[in-house]
Amino acid sequence: MEFERKVREGMAETKKVFVIGLDSAPPELLFNRFIEDMPNVKKLLEKSVHGPMQTGIPAITIPMWMVMVTGKTPGELGLYGFRHRTGYSYTDYWIAHSKKLKEPTVWDYLGERGKESIIVGVPPTYPPKPIRGHLVSCFITPDASVDYTYPRELKGEIERLVGEYIFDVPFRREAKDEVKEGIWEMTEKRFEVIRYLLQEKEWDYFHFVEIGLDRLHHAFWRYFDENHHLYPGKGNKYENVIPDYYRLLDREIGKTLELIDLDETAVFIVSDHGIKAMHGNFAVNQWLAEEGLLKVRNPEVLHDGKVKRFESLDVDWKETTAWGWGGYYSRVFLNVLGREKEGKVPLSKFDKVRDEVAEQIKAIRGPNGEKWDTKVFYPEDIYPVAKASKPDIMVYFDNLNWRAAGTVGHPSNYLPENDTGPDDANHSEFGVFSMYLPGFDESKATQLTIYDFAPTILRLFGIEEPLKGMHGRSIL
Amino acid sequence: MAEEKKYTTVSIPKPLYDKIKARIEGTGFTSVSDYVTYVLREVLASLEEEEKEEVFTEEEEEKVKERLRALGYLD
Repeated sequence: MEFERKVREGMAETKKVFVIGLDSAPPELLFNRFIEDMPNVKKLLEKSVHGPMQTGIPAITIPMWMVMVTGKTPGELGLYGFRHRTGYSYTDYWIAHSKKLKEPTVWDYLGERGKESIIVGVPPTYPPKPIRGHLVSCFITPDASVDYTYPRELKGEIERLVGEYIFDVPFRREAKDEVKEGIWEMTEKRFEVIRYLLQEKEWDYFHFVEIGLDRLHHAFWRYFDENHHLYPGKGNKYENVIPDYYRLLDREIGKTLELIDLDETAVFIVSDHGIKAMHGNFAVNQWLAEEGLLKVRNPEVLHDGKVKRFESLDVDWKETTAWGWGGYYSRVFLNVLGREKEGKVPLSKFDKVRDEVAEQIKAIRGPNGEKWDTKVFYPEDIYPVAKASKPDIMVYFDNLNWRAAGTVGHPSNYLPENDTGPDDANHSEFGVFSMYLPGFDESKATQLTIYDFAPTILRLFGIEEPLKGMHGRSIL
Repeated sequence: MAEEKKYTTVSIPKPLYDKIKARIEGTGFTSVSDYVTYVLREVLASLEEEEKEEVFTEEEEEKVKERLRALGYLD
């Protein structure tokens, strides 16, 4: 009862909402392992409702941030990842960008009601679409030479402030020191921009996403996780990189929170998914070829030790049932007669063939014959609608302990190392959620799903459920 | 000069023709050709709409793809 009163009072006092988005922050690290290294975050959590936030499927940056801020499923958004097939092409694809997104976001709802928003780095927000407020686009931005802000003039202010703004740091390189420096520089610049905006511009809703944490996890996980299969041992050169970055985040968050009036501002910390050790990569197209589902005219190149992209394979499409895409999760497509250019599977047999392929995929075992917990999903089953270029089967190899490699030419189907440069981690089902409301002075545990975020935020601004087509519900 | 021909013929499978014929019965469409023309215009318009959404130049698209590849999102 006491707590409910505090919630009511906190809601009444809330005039602004500040959302700290940390891409791939897992509850295990943020709430537990590193909490003592993060005094500012700890202080905030001690007066926040917080707990794990279940992400959606697929647990990938795009579409999950947009799922969070629209309350819609990937199927309704028509976004299933970073790339999508152009029509039913075997090889052409387009990259997700802001204009593909047709559903209203939290800041669209707020803008209609005259509320000002500041949005920084929420993917995908490139190219920048007009909003009521200010927007800095995300890591899909080609580079800092293009227009990446709304309004356009904001770009000049950012450049005067931090020089060349940094959108991302490709991490799959052996030059770890450079990767580390790049991530640090990117994050420091982003927080400088954030602090500038929150002081200089008007806002009711402020939402930023720091992508550096995700890049850090992927690049340095093996050096800090003693259970990782590539852990180099205690005292290795990079073992403190991950904890150091959490400390950096804490300092930056601390400096930022000093500029915020906690008597009238609600503060959230959220992530789009969690993260865990990656055991390796599974070469999905090599496997499909071995099973006879993918017919290649020059099968000798499948295992010749020369890694090549799927597009460079000479596929006998007329004899091919299915092929796959790599990524943190795998998308498998059936080659359907009358749909694909050289389709094989008759539409009348689509369901049956898909079930058979899915069963075969689920039966795949690990490199030592161990049982895998592979999950397969059909977009039409898990979303109310599945718009745009949906995959036929979505696959989590061993529940995302293994990533999918779409490339071929690997001696084995099980790659201990990644096919396109070092990468140690994969995504997991639970991200983080934390909510401070004005007046909160103790912590409380909660759990929710990523779909509950948008209704909760809108509720804080007095916008009540039912909200058009949103799936979650406000926790307030 | 002969008047420019305004219509031309395309072939569609007979079963599809029959299906369309059955579908337009009792609707405002007076012929299969009318209906097919209508549907194709709709499809093309939506494709054109989609093409308008091209936001990357070829060079930019390559740059983004290269980066996403290096980040593990492609291949």
